[in-house]
Amino acid sequence: MTNAAFPQVRIVPIRMLKPRTAERLLNMLAGIAGIRRMMIHGPGLPKKVPYGPARGSPNPHSDRRAIHVGDAEIALSIQVGEVILEVEDASVIEEIRSHCDGFFVEFPYRLQEGRFMKTAPTLVDYAKYGPDADTTLIGLADPRNGEGPVVIRKEQ
Amino acid sequence: MAYKPQYGPGTSIVAENRRKQMNPGQKLEKVRSVTDEDIVLILGHRAPGSAYPSAHPPLAEQQEPDCPMRKIVKPTEGAQAGDRVRYIQFADSMFNAPSQPYQRTYTEMYRFRGIDPGTLSGRQIVECRERDLEKYSKELIETEMFDPALVGIRGATVHGHSLRLAEDGMMFDMLQRNVLGEDGIVKYVKNQIGEPLDRAVAVGKPMDQKWLKAHTTIYHSLVGTAYRDDTEYVEYVQRIHSLRTKYGFMPKEE
Repeated sequence: MTNAAFPQVRIVPIRMLKPRTAERLLNMLAGIAGIRRMMIHGPGLPKKVPYGPARGSPNPHSDRRAIHVGDAEIALSIQVGEVILEVEDASVIEEIRSHCDGFFVEFPYRLQEGRFMKTAPTLVDYAKYGPDADTTLIGLADPRNGEGPVVIRKEQ
Repeated sequence: MAYKPQYGPGTSIVAENRRKQMNPGQKLEKVRSVTDEDIVLILGHRAPGSAYPSAHPPLAEQQEPDCPMRKIVKPTEGAQAGDRVRYIQFADSMFNAPSQPYQRTYTEMYRFRGIDPGTLSGRQIVECRERDLEKYSKELIETEMFDPALVGIRGATVHGHSLRLAEDGMMFDMLQRNVLGEDGIVKYVKNQIGEPLDRAVAVGKPMDQKWLKAHTTIYHSLVGTAYRDDTEYVEYVQRIHSLRTKYGFMPKEE
């Protein structure tokens, strides 16, 4: 959950990212010290056709695949539209900005500061994780799809 | 003096394109060619080459009531044969797609017969008799009203018209019905409701930004022509808004 002591930023590229670009971006961000939590956000790519006459049939999609960030594997189930970050302090934001300026060369992006993560557990969070849930993990993953957040460990 | 429709106000290129698409006297520029079989595959209503299933016997074989309207109105080819009613649905990206739902409905009402369009914010569906539909679909796909990257033929799960484009310039599609190949040609790999096709159907190369900006019927202040720049259009819309608001109160003339 959001702790008011830590600033948050959001990276919004003007184009939605392909898995390969998202992988490069996330690996670049994983290399920056001082990022506490990171969330990727975008429209979903379901495994099955969710509605319409073909409902329930498989939905092959080339952008729904696993990517590797640091030592972790992330099964992408969305098209990456934006990356939300919680950082230790304001100096990290400038570092993120300088890295992103070098990264987004083919199309522009915006780096926005604000509050983008959940500030309190919702009813669904409560029903799913109970009263003693780890508050640092709430809001990082969709409570309904059963997949938790991924932990990226940095080499010491 | 005979009535001559004006089709719409505006002095910008967008307004001009809108009038051009609506005016049945103007021939739409043919940009690509797609075979009849490909259209049938994308629509997904019947197998290519199979007979048209019918909803009722052909008109020639059934007794029709003595009705003056039936004498005046000539049935379309599909109605005459008793075809089923089927549909095609389009989603148009807001980033300078060549057409958009309201525009499509206006255009089809002016140009086609025997249709039932449905207009929604992000998609537009048109229903008609099957063999008419295939003819109309061909026209809608082959002409300047279509762009392989920014227009999607989507029977269901249409989400994407208002989203940012993907890196390769394609409009977001949850079901990835059309993919941009390495040769730069967009191919449909699923039919409009998302069932995989036996073979990919090529619909041509995406048009470039310059062409799209010159052929779009959507105002967009960031990527195209700004609505506010077309003062005649704004004036017209304000006039309609003002009149309909006043007439909501039913003013009486003294």
